[in-house]
Amino acid sequence: MSAVSPRKLSEPVAAAAPSHAARRARRSVDPVVLTLLPIIVIAVIVGAVVNPVFLTTTNIIDNIITTSAVLGVLVIAESLILIGGYFDLSLEATVGFAPMLLAVLVSSAADAGLGLPFWAGLLITIPAVLLIGLANGLMIAKMKLNAFIVTLAMLILLQGLTIGLSGGQTFAMLPKAMTYLGDGVILGLPVQAWIFVLAFAAAYVFMKFTPTGRSIYAMGGNLEAARAAGIRTTRLTIGVVVAGSLLAALAGLMLTGRIASVTANQGSGMIFTVFAAAVIGGISLNGGRGNLIGAGLGVILLGIIQNILTLSNVPSFWINAAYGAIILAALLIGWVSTQRFPGGRAAA
Amino acid sequence: MPEAIVVDQVSKAFGPTLALSAVSLTVNRGESRALIGKNGAGKSTLMSILTGLSQPDSGSVQVLAEGDAGGASAVGCVYQRSTLIPAATAAENIALARFPRSRAGLIRWPEVRRQATELLAEWEYADLAGTPVEQLEPLERKVVEICRVLSQGPRVLLLDEPTAGLDRGASQRLFGHIERARARGVTIIYVSHHLHEVFEVCDSVTVLRDGRAVLTEQLTRMTVPDLVDAMVGEAAATAGGGLRAARPESARPPVLVASGVTAPKVNGVDLALRPGECVGLTGLDGAGHMQLAEVLTGQRPAEAGTVTLDGRPLPLGDIRGCIEAGIGFTPEDRHTSGYVPALSVAENATLNIMPRFANGFRLISGKKRDAFYSRLAGEWNIKAYGAAQPTEELSGGNQQKVVLARSVAADPKVLVLVNPTAGVDVSAKNSIYTTIEALRADGQAVLIVTTDDADLEVCDRVVVMVHGEVSAELRHPFTEGMIAAAVQGGGTTEPDLLPSGEEDSQ
Ligand SMILES: Nc1ncnc2c1ncn2[C@@H]1O[C@H](COP(=O)(O)OP(=O)(O)OP(=O)(O)O)[C@@H](O)[C@H]1O
Ligand SMILES: [Mg+2]
Repeated sequence: MSAVSPRKLSEPVAAAAPSHAARRARRSVDPVVLTLLPIIVIAVIVGAVVNPVFLTTTNIIDNIITTSAVLGVLVIAESLILIGGYFDLSLEATVGFAPMLLAVLVSSAADAGLGLPFWAGLLITIPAVLLIGLANGLMIAKMKLNAFIVTLAMLILLQGLTIGLSGGQTFAMLPKAMTYLGDGVILGLPVQAWIFVLAFAAAYVFMKFTPTGRSIYAMGGNLEAARAAGIRTTRLTIGVVVAGSLLAALAGLMLTGRIASVTANQGSGMIFTVFAAAVIGGISLNGGRGNLIGAGLGVILLGIIQNILTLSNVPSFWINAAYGAIILAALLIGWVSTQRFPGGRAAA
Repeated sequence: MPEAIVVDQVSKAFGPTLALSAVSLTVNRGESRALIGKNGAGKSTLMSILTGLSQPDSGSVQVLAEGDAGGASAVGCVYQRSTLIPAATAAENIALARFPRSRAGLIRWPEVRRQATELLAEWEYADLAGTPVEQLEPLERKVVEICRVLSQGPRVLLLDEPTAGLDRGASQRLFGHIERARARGVTIIYVSHHLHEVFEVCDSVTVLRDGRAVLTEQLTRMTVPDLVDAMVGEAAATAGGGLRAARPESARPPVLVASGVTAPKVNGVDLALRPGECVGLTGLDGAGHMQLAEVLTGQRPAEAGTVTLDGRPLPLGDIRGCIEAGIGFTPEDRHTSGYVPALSVAENATLNIMPRFANGFRLISGKKRDAFYSRLAGEWNIKAYGAAQPTEELSGGNQQKVVLARSVAADPKVLVLVNPTAGVDVSAKNSIYTTIEALRADGQAVLIVTTDDADLEVCDRVVVMVHGEVSAELRHPFTEGMIAAAVQGGGTTEPDLLPSGEEDSQ
């Protein structure tokens, strides 16, 4: 590089920014995080007022964090794909399919399973999940088919396979290894809480500080420019979609562990909440913008709201309506905040 | 003469950047005003305020007095960045917003097609009407954009760097259209970094420097150096010149050898670049020089032929492979495929060398990257408020500089620059030429693919393509006239020149 030093025209760096440092400081905090934190604080206050149980450690750790963990892992998966400029509807079907396949393989013959050892079950389930991601990825990246229709078809296919595999029954006699992700405890905290926190931290660091992570942002932000900069976009897309499938399978196992059984409709309908959390968290549906901290806060906000709704005894028939209304409200507040700080779009 | 455009004390800030500060100017009806200034001076910002696309923070603008039936269609603007709809055809883009309708209110598609074909025919692009814009070459897109604006018969015409990326023929045609518009009394504001164009097209000039209007004058009283001084400031260094001296021919064996390269629009081209050599590659639109450049840089696979770098075959069609082998390049259309809008300038400038900033944990160290970036920014004079500014917020020319800086950041052995100086200001132009000079002194080979005569000036030799084949090769001293003749396929004025680049292919 040293040789490449054109002499600058002898001209002072003109009228540089006046409040340089101030601007930098304000910028370094993501506007989405700035908006979400106060909303979360308000939600916590509301929760505490509504029900004194809300602020207890048990409620926060066992209910809010733990029940958010499955959603959280799925949101990470979807966020990676969204930031890369695509999306994947079939994740929710993988949430049901992977544990069902595993359950069928490892349940004893008496429970309508094949009675394979747990490791053998994993040895079949993991490649199956990889295959799902690979199929999606190849169709999206290589054949340039539309991600919506490809993953919608995959969603329907996998849901069908799950029902077919189950033979219409629920698998509840699962080996201990399979439910560990649901009831395990490490250092006094549930495994699910650990996964939630560590997965978000790891995903954040990966996306923010590794060349691969930044390449995903570049690809989602401008595919052509990323290609021209030497990023192998086809490979990267396939990689991201496969990673998404693996994470969805992990989320599925966590869910199975928590409820200690696999039903044929596990995961169905979750994808909408996943999208809602990602968007509330500032992940752009157009790719290339948003970060995993914001997405994590989005998940926590939804978890808190769900928890408050449950604690305040909202009749279960109304919970979904309340939930939907609150998601809309969160989106509107996010919109107001981007109007307030001009240029305050989620940074990459 | 009544005023057509009155800008009164207009200011506009983007965060800490004062893009315009108390700018006032008036343009009379039928006047053609040049608006010039360095990259980031505020030209595009002023244009977008004039079209109403953005609002000034303070001050006022008036375009065409009241009762003058102002309104959208009376003002036409060719923006610096493409405003076309990629998936729609050229014809639909041209007709957009004022579709010919049948009595039932339905669009008359044959008429849309006919009108567009007619307009495009004036530019010899009649056959493009039915093609989706995303499949067009950058030059063709620009023509479509210009056609759209001209077809609306505007009474005020705003042109923001319309000739950036146009070739000589298309520029001349544009000037013809501008001339005719002026004859009809259309008021024009013309933004360009090509100062000689300004003398051809305009009556008067306003110079912006750092958001302030520093000079307004009739062009008859100005010279190019005067304009440069006003743009750059009093202490301006004189632009250009000095690089021209013919240099002894490099005797070293070629570093890049292309033989028999065949691709769409390219028929079996041979080309060789020696270390320390700067070669120009030019031709009319469609002559295949752009496509050849795309093959050499891995952006397009070759149907036949080979390219070797240092004796090793280049993985054609594999951009990453070519970059790793030692090719550096800038994409032709830098606005659409040059940079990632949401990413910071530092990231964009180092997108191809990210692993270099990895620390012990294989994580990117932002500090290392920003330090590297600030050196690039200094060398290339990139005007941004810091390494973290999103690239989408930079002025058009500064975005280009980011992309250019990236192409040399990886220390390429061979640098392929497509229209390197399109859209950048005089001082950036000089840093580009100085950079090319430095690369050359360092033993790197540079291929400049361009339609700009000033770019070809700095080359040791110029390879001219016509209809997909190398038709001539010019060595210093050559003149603009000789190049103009050669690109037309008219042969060279010097008979002793070889008809093709074959002497170089081994
Ligand atoms: N949306 C934006 N956000 C932040 N800053 C901006 C934005 N648009 C323009 N700017 C800043 O305003 C200044 C003027 O930009 P403008 O695009 O008007 O320059 P220009 O004279 O057209 O330059 P060029 O010749 O490079 O096109 C630049 O410093 C630019 O970084
Ligand atoms: Mg501009």
